[in-house]
Amino acid sequence: MAEMTKKMTRKEKKELRERMKHLKSGKLEKRYARMGYIFMIPWFIGAAVFLAYPLGSSFWYALNNIRITPLGRIFNFVGHGNFTQILIEDPDFMIYLVDYLTSTVISVPIIVVFALLIAMMLNMKIKGKGFFRLIFFLPVIIVSGPILGMLNSQGAGSVSAIDTAALSGAIGSVLPELIAKPISDVFGNMITTLWYSGVQILIFLSGLQKIDKSMYEAAKIDGGSGWECFWKITLPNLRSMILLNTIYTVVFVSNNSDNPIIVLIKNSMFSGTKEKGYGYASAMAWLYSIVVLILVGLFALLLATRKDQYEKQVKRAIKARKKEKRNKKRIERRNRRNAKRIEQQRAKGRITSHTTKRDDY
Amino acid sequence: MKGRKINPKRFEIGQLKIILLILPLVIFMGMPIIFILNHAFKPMEELFAFPPTFFVKNATLENFSKLIKFSDSSGIPLSRYLFNSLIVTAVTVGLALLLTTMSAFALAKIKFKGRNMLAKINQVAIMFVSTAVLIPRYLVICKLGLIDNLLAHILPLVAMPVALFLVKQFVEQVPDSLLEAAYMDGATDLDIYLKVIMPMIRPAVATAAILVFQQVWTNMETSSYFFSDDSMKTLTFYMNTLVNANNTVAGQGMAAAASLIMFLPNLILFIILQNKVMNTMANSGIK
Repeated sequence: MAEMTKKMTRKEKKELRERMKHLKSGKLEKRYARMGYIFMIPWFIGAAVFLAYPLGSSFWYALNNIRITPLGRIFNFVGHGNFTQILIEDPDFMIYLVDYLTSTVISVPIIVVFALLIAMMLNMKIKGKGFFRLIFFLPVIIVSGPILGMLNSQGAGSVSAIDTAALSGAIGSVLPELIAKPISDVFGNMITTLWYSGVQILIFLSGLQKIDKSMYEAAKIDGGSGWECFWKITLPNLRSMILLNTIYTVVFVSNNSDNPIIVLIKNSMFSGTKEKGYGYASAMAWLYSIVVLILVGLFALLLATRKDQYEKQVKRAIKARKKEKRNKKRIERRNRRNAKRIEQQRAKGRITSHTTKRDDY
Repeated sequence: MKGRKINPKRFEIGQLKIILLILPLVIFMGMPIIFILNHAFKPMEELFAFPPTFFVKNATLENFSKLIKFSDSSGIPLSRYLFNSLIVTAVTVGLALLLTTMSAFALAKIKFKGRNMLAKINQVAIMFVSTAVLIPRYLVICKLGLIDNLLAHILPLVAMPVALFLVKQFVEQVPDSLLEAAYMDGATDLDIYLKVIMPMIRPAVATAAILVFQQVWTNMETSSYFFSDDSMKTLTFYMNTLVNANNTVAGQGMAAAASLIMFLPNLILFIILQNKVMNTMANSGIK
């Protein structure tokens, strides 16, 4: 098959493509695709009505100044006015946004690494594993809900054993203020940060248990230490789980109802002033979700699953072969060109023909 | 039955170092739970003791009896809210899981036009702040005529993007060769969904179930925005108003008891599901 396509000229290929256009896709393929739609339809209807439509209309609202009066909603198209107002005039949004970005960038790796460590410990053979697992998952239940607010108000969210003031002082003396503040903030809310890791632990655990045990055995027979096993077997196998967990953590941290930006959006949504209101809040929400999207994209880019080593090498070999072929062709062309030139010169009689024999060397 | 043997039968010396590593973290993480448990049983003078005590000394049921007395004095009985909450939660979790697994299977394993676009829409929906779509949602509910209908609790939460994302990620890891083998043996797509995919992603389903449950159980938005009839609101909303309305010195005890009541169903559900989550993993055959 591969050779056939190689022999075809560009024109022939085009013709083939033209012919293929009129062919219908196979019955099997069609049925297959139809099943896909059937499976998607229920979810799609729900998502269209309660997610996509509200999303779309909130984008329209973001371009308007909306006032809710007894007569109904009054729309006043302002274009990008809401966005510029948020970015330039709003005193809180940018500050909160920068705070949010720094704290997320710091706390997400902490949460993911912590979850991985706990999951690995829970994956070892110990008695009472179920109990430990329970303890580590339970915070997830608490984190969402009115209980968290109560606990925070009583100061349970920070570690009183670690003297936060001394710690932030120590960090501040080494690092500049701009970096030191978020770090000490993260330490101050250590318990709440670690509470976020319940689902991540579960996901990591399921990933860990999927790793083939015989791989570890093989590594051990070849003399691999536990440390090496972790880097060469555990981590590569968990790569997709790490990506999943990172995205989940970013989303969870960003859309938590305690997040100051969310509170800000909510407040401006119900504020009665002329400039603010629902359109303003929508614009803010859109800006915020674009920022979150970019952040997730960056994390995903950092952790994206790379192709495995074998495929990489195959690709490299193919590339090298192609290059060699190209070189060969070039040399051939040059030789032909040179031969032609020599012919021409000879025709003009500038070169007296002589032959060299093998024996002359 | 490899999966049943995750926990070793006996305690061995070798386990000691792991337990030593984990124990401080366990105490660290378990503190709030113990706190909630203890707080609900504290009598009035201990609730406001300074410095705050962690463990209860003279445990009483005073807070609970106060709570019951208070709810009796209002027009609608507590059982009505409980009934609403139970129905709403059960239906939502069931429907959400069905839709999520079905569409996750389709998105991950079936090729059809617009598949990537649907997945992208889902991803954008995950990122979006849910409070910002509140008013459009309200308008949709209005147009459908669902105000003061229990369905208004259920429908907005049925299509949950986070759960779909999670389950889809797990379905993608089911090897294609397994599905091909099933197709070869004459399985239809429905068979594959029910007999191949579902058993293999049971841990993901259990995780998603916990997530959805907790989202629905603690959800107050639908109650406060889509309902004007008090008898149709959920238990969470009622408990929250209780806590807020009595945010005085006397109300603190009731608030503590209420938060324990709200917390218990989650605990029970997780205890039931956690064995499923972990034990199906080992013999699921995913390599």
